[in-house]
Amino acid sequence: MKELRKTYLQDFRDSWTLCAHCGTCNARGPVIPHNWKELPPPEWTSPYHRCPSFEHFNFRTYNAQGRGILAMRVFDDKDFPLSDDLMKAVYTCTSCGVCSDICKATDPLTAIWALREELVRRGAELPEPLGKIHRNIDQTNNMFGSAKPVKMEGVPTEGEDIYFAGCNARFTQPKVIQAVLKTLKAAGIEAAYLGEEEKCCGFIPGHDGQTDLLEQQAMRNIETLKEAGCKRLIVSCAHCYKAFTVDYPMIVGELPFQVVHYAELLSQLIKEKKVSFTKRIEKKVTYHDPCFLGRHCGVYDAPREVLSAIPGLELAEMERNRRWSYCCGSGAKISGICYPEFGNAVTKERLQEGMQAADHVVTACTTCVSQMSRVARNEKMDVEIDDISTLAAEAMGIELP
Amino acid sequence: MEIIQAIEKIVGPDRVSDSECVCLSYAYNAILGKDVVRKPDIVVMPKTAEEISEIIKLANEYKVPITPKGVTGTSGHGGCLRGGILLDLTLMDKILLIDPVNMKTVAEAGCSFFKLSHELFKEGLMLPTAPYGPGPNVAASAILPVNAFGETKYGANINLVEGFEVVLPSGEIIRVGSMAYADFDFGPYYRYITGPDLVGLFTKMNGALGIVTKIAYRCLKRSEKWGFHTYYWPMDKIEELTKAVLGLTAAEIFDVHLNDRWSWNMIESVTLPDDCYFLMQIILNADNDLELAGREQTMRTICESNAGSYLPGFAEDFYTRWPTHFMFMEMVAPPRKSLPAKLPRRYMIMFDELIFPTSRLPEIYTKMMELCKKHGLWGFPQFSAFSGFPMNAQTISGHSWTPLDDTDPDVMKHFYECQAEFREWFGKKGGTYQQRLPPAAPDYVWTNQMGAFKLIRSIKELLDPNDILSPGTFELFEQEEA
Repeated sequence: MKELRKTYLQDFRDSWTLCAHCGTCNARGPVIPHNWKELPPPEWTSPYHRCPSFEHFNFRTYNAQGRGILAMRVFDDKDFPLSDDLMKAVYTCTSCGVCSDICKATDPLTAIWALREELVRRGAELPEPLGKIHRNIDQTNNMFGSAKPVKMEGVPTEGEDIYFAGCNARFTQPKVIQAVLKTLKAAGIEAAYLGEEEKCCGFIPGHDGQTDLLEQQAMRNIETLKEAGCKRLIVSCAHCYKAFTVDYPMIVGELPFQVVHYAELLSQLIKEKKVSFTKRIEKKVTYHDPCFLGRHCGVYDAPREVLSAIPGLELAEMERNRRWSYCCGSGAKISGICYPEFGNAVTKERLQEGMQAADHVVTACTTCVSQMSRVARNEKMDVEIDDISTLAAEAMGIELP
Repeated sequence: MEIIQAIEKIVGPDRVSDSECVCLSYAYNAILGKDVVRKPDIVVMPKTAEEISEIIKLANEYKVPITPKGVTGTSGHGGCLRGGILLDLTLMDKILLIDPVNMKTVAEAGCSFFKLSHELFKEGLMLPTAPYGPGPNVAASAILPVNAFGETKYGANINLVEGFEVVLPSGEIIRVGSMAYADFDFGPYYRYITGPDLVGLFTKMNGALGIVTKIAYRCLKRSEKWGFHTYYWPMDKIEELTKAVLGLTAAEIFDVHLNDRWSWNMIESVTLPDDCYFLMQIILNADNDLELAGREQTMRTICESNAGSYLPGFAEDFYTRWPTHFMFMEMVAPPRKSLPAKLPRRYMIMFDELIFPTSRLPEIYTKMMELCKKHGLWGFPQFSAFSGFPMNAQTISGHSWTPLDDTDPDVMKHFYECQAEFREWFGKKGGTYQQRLPPAAPDYVWTNQMGAFKLIRSIKELLDPNDILSPGTFELFEQEEA
């Protein structure tokens, strides 16, 4: 059962040797020019810049094609030197997934993840602070190694509906926790919050090659949630959402509870007329599609439906949206942490793009919020950044601390 | 001073690297199963011809090889044969001119066909000989011509090139063909300016005589009407098939793409009639419905009078679906699930980019089949799929690709023996290659034209006395290996 989550370079060797190096996965410019009959339909007219690490470092080493070539070199040579250069090439991939969305024949991103697993198997020293994060997750069940998460007085700690806040919200964004729980309560859903009992989902080790730790966290979480009586898990972090909906089922099969993203649930509640946005918000906002909610899990419409339902709110799209959305800079909480100069540059570019559309960026992932807020603050960028839950709370007239 | 520090002074520290990983990630070409390129020692990403000029001067000073690389087509060396400095031209990707009235365009060498085509379309223009794959950049496709749809009517991509800006091995920047007049009032309007055609000197040369930095194309009006059709032939009708290809090419049909059934057998979604052995997918272009109807009638007459049977729905679906055939790997991978599991998904090009007279198709195909049978590489599930691009001038550019287990020494022994036997036979016939030079192509492409080869070598020695530009390009590899 456990082997299901593992990826091996061997699995990709055939498809990578099939790769014709056509460059579609990374080439700048449109993916498809024409089929002679007509111009490409909008969904194929891709933006000029797509792969964040390629755009930042420029060398092909930092795109799917270059990493694929390195992956095969590693595969073919059991003594391939595990140099800092190799680690940088492999761990600056943001895992945004745009390459795999373009080329389903070779699925470059999964091959890059397989390469990371192989490097771990060979005993490579991962870029810091991944080692520290792994220890934190293992020992304290959160990526920060903090002792006490945000407490929510008067909120049940067990029940059929459980809100899984994720590390970022639990330790750095209490406002999001308040917003999620209060908006859901106003819509008739009394969600529980586990607080200290919540365990890191294991997304980071699951995507930096240390998949054993992801499996450990999957077991811990599923056990805890089962004990708490969970029937429906509500998630507001895109990374946690991907871990629960894509990775965990590969480890344990079907989960004993349903998993839904907060934006999906809220959109459904709006359709059922269980949510009432009583306060007008006269603002123009733009929505940033988190990679792990959009491209990786296919959730594009629900957040937009929520924002469109808020009276007075105008939703403007960024140039790169939906399947072409650009990474927030966090890079799956890996490249942004390990290579902050690169991560911050990506974030700045994304925020500047957002500011072309509106001066308020809304997203549906606490990791994206955390990354974009920090860079906006440090760079003194005149842009507001919010999780969708806080905007929903405001529109429902719910006061947050 | 180390050469890398000197290069840093030209392009800055962020656009040059001698990192082992960076260099290794450029050690690839686009030839399935063939690793003819070597790892560069330094990768540089220039942005201007002037930067390239300065880097070439340094390379001369240090006697270091220097080779350009764009985004690849599906073939060609596309990298260093002797190590040294690799110039990655992908940052030189600006479109400099689109003149819809005079139907000309100029772009930097690293601009992709997709980017250029996308903009040309908006102006009612097209570059019809768009190569496979989205990335091939406009210069790479000219210095190593690639397989392209539209060749049946318009010939090779290079036929539309009218001018180059080139940095010579001395570092001097020159302009040839229409580009020589690019800065005059009339602009780049004609290839064959006074004197011999120097544009031709810089084609199919892998950057060995100069590094192309800008390229001027003659565009065509984007056709309003298109038709997509498929005809098929049984195996014993290859003579009739050949007559049909000759007829369609003479009738200036936009594109004919020829496959045997093995290409399609691999794709799960494709079911072919039992008597279908050869398939011909035909693309027609026209300015209006009347012209299109006329071309369709011509196509029907030629195909049906030569034993072709119509296969409805096949090309129509294949050519109009998104993503288009440009992403052809989407079409062949993953292979048909019914293929035996032990058959690996490793493809190698057995008979590669051969150019031969269309009239000799039956002879060529029969020889391929004979040799493949001899070496156990024919028939399902072990096969070698033939794909041919009939070009104008009644020639075919064809190749075959073979899925095999390249870890099995016996299989590989047969593969190479089969390839070598065919090459010997094909070379003696006077066959040649469209897009490859030795070592990717056999030496007979040079030895069959020794006089021309010696002249090219003389020009190379004259222009590049230090042999720094793409060294290895104009050499005889079999002799060297011996």
